[in-house]
Amino acid sequence: MGEHETHGIIENIFDGLLGKDIYFWNFIVLMVFTLFEVAAVFFSGIPLKAVWAILIGVGIVKGYGISAYFMHLKGDPRIYTRTALFPVIFVLLMLWGIGLSNPEGVTGLPAWCTPLSADYATNR
Amino acid sequence: MSSGEAHVENSIWMRAVLMGSTFLVIGILAFATMGVGVANMRHHAYEEAVHEYDDAKHDYEEAKLSYENAKANNASTEEIAALKATKDSLKDIKDDAHHHEVEAHLSYLTWRTAGITILLMCVTYASFIGLGGFVNSIQPEEDDSHGASVYGGDDHEHHGSGSPIVFALGIMLFLMGFPEFQATLSDMLSGNEAELGGLGLSMFGLLVIVLGVSNWWREDLPFIGNGEQIATSAPFEGQHIRKAGLWVFIMSEIMVFATFFSSYLRMRTEWCTGWQVEAGNCEQVDMLTASDFLRPDGAELGGLGGQGDFMTLLPGAINTFALIVSSYTIVLALKTAKNANWEAPTGFMGKLMPTKKAAVRNYLLATLLLGSMFIVLKLIEWSHLVAEGFTIGTQAGSIFYISTGAHGLHVFIGLLVMLYLVFKADTVEFNEDNAQGIEYFGLYWHFVDLAWVVIFPAFYLY
Repeated sequence: MGEHETHGIIENIFDGLLGKDIYFWNFIVLMVFTLFEVAAVFFSGIPLKAVWAILIGVGIVKGYGISAYFMHLKGDPRIYTRTALFPVIFVLLMLWGIGLSNPEGVTGLPAWCTPLSADYATNR
Repeated sequence: MSSGEAHVENSIWMRAVLMGSTFLVIGILAFATMGVGVANMRHHAYEEAVHEYDDAKHDYEEAKLSYENAKANNASTEEIAALKATKDSLKDIKDDAHHHEVEAHLSYLTWRTAGITILLMCVTYASFIGLGGFVNSIQPEEDDSHGASVYGGDDHEHHGSGSPIVFALGIMLFLMGFPEFQATLSDMLSGNEAELGGLGLSMFGLLVIVLGVSNWWREDLPFIGNGEQIATSAPFEGQHIRKAGLWVFIMSEIMVFATFFSSYLRMRTEWCTGWQVEAGNCEQVDMLTASDFLRPDGAELGGLGGQGDFMTLLPGAINTFALIVSSYTIVLALKTAKNANWEAPTGFMGKLMPTKKAAVRNYLLATLLLGSMFIVLKLIEWSHLVAEGFTIGTQAGSIFYISTGAHGLHVFIGLLVMLYLVFKADTVEFNEDNAQGIEYFGLYWHFVDLAWVVIFPAFYLY
């Protein structure tokens, strides 16, 4: 946060743009993307799949902006990123557990939810 | 006190007591104006709206009866048509009156909830900062002559603190008594004989928490940056131990929120929601989610007719922006504290931030205000949802209130820590040497923002 120097394509473009630092531009990007997120839901004409895609896409961008720049994972030693990502193993296991524990886990869910039973799920 | 620390007079802590008293006054004033004054007026308007609705409903029922009687008695076509027109217009009036009644009820709930929430928050703020300040102000003064330090008398490395262990013990005691907490309070409020066991244990736990936290503050306040412990072995070798510890803590927090989120997904895969009907996966909606009440087109999905509108989603949307702004204000607080060549801005901002000390304090204060607003809006939104029938007793309500409540609790705990940071910024001052406190707290605050990035679309929009 704040004092960490980072170098990359994004930093080269934004850091110093119009006299503002990367944290300011990150803040602006987060605000604009939140606006997209809320707008996607406010405008009822947008197809559901597009709303889904917008919500997930915006979530990824915002998550990256907060963790990479505000939490300065991009400028810090890799060990902090690894520490932050370690629980992802459990998150994935839990999400996969949805497939295993749902009564219709094999027959009712898309194949990507049940990787070990993929053949059965897709050929049912 | 060693030369590696600022000398903090006990009298400084009395400023924390003053700060606590200020919060108490703010809370009482807010409650008196919003929670009592405005809320009572809104309640009066609500009662009038209820009467209007009852009258309109009565008129409509009578018109409907007349119309049905006329049809049954084979009245003339013109007479039936006139009665039908009257019935239809009265139905419109009744629907308008109902809409007005609901609006008046929600408006009353908004003001009452806001007043009560601000009062409770200010009382908690006052208890934490005021009590902590008072406990520290009556401690024996540190003796400067022996070079003894609260960090162990060493300028270059401090040896940690036992306060977090006391704090953790307090939490354990509080939670041990918590299962009986609500039952005891209910008994006390209803005048029944109450078992004090659980409540007493919880209260004792709270006391231990306050003592642990106040001692923790007392140890940290003089810290001006010397003696930050460095890890000497893998995997964090060369890194600040406090920072590494905080990241491990955040790691455990990610797991906590992941359990809520995966539970939600697990439950949601079995519900036939509006989204599922729209996608053709099932035929009839069997579960209303929070987003059905909050989204502008709400339960229109699945053919139930929309319940939400612009105003229902507004608190959640404002909160999303508030958290992002608060994330940025805390970055600005750290940047300002770390900037050795800081210069006061010109114009209006220059009046708000004439000195570096004032700038850091005010950025932290802005973060505190935004976080407090988040809690107030959240509880207003909850009161509306409960009034509309989306309670914790439903499956969707259960996971919604537990997940968003856990997040709100994290925000609130963060605000209590922020109180101390504001106090330190106003007394000892943060600078380029001791700004780690803001940095480490900032990591936690950004994590809370990050959790909201997932919770908001998952629970409010989807």
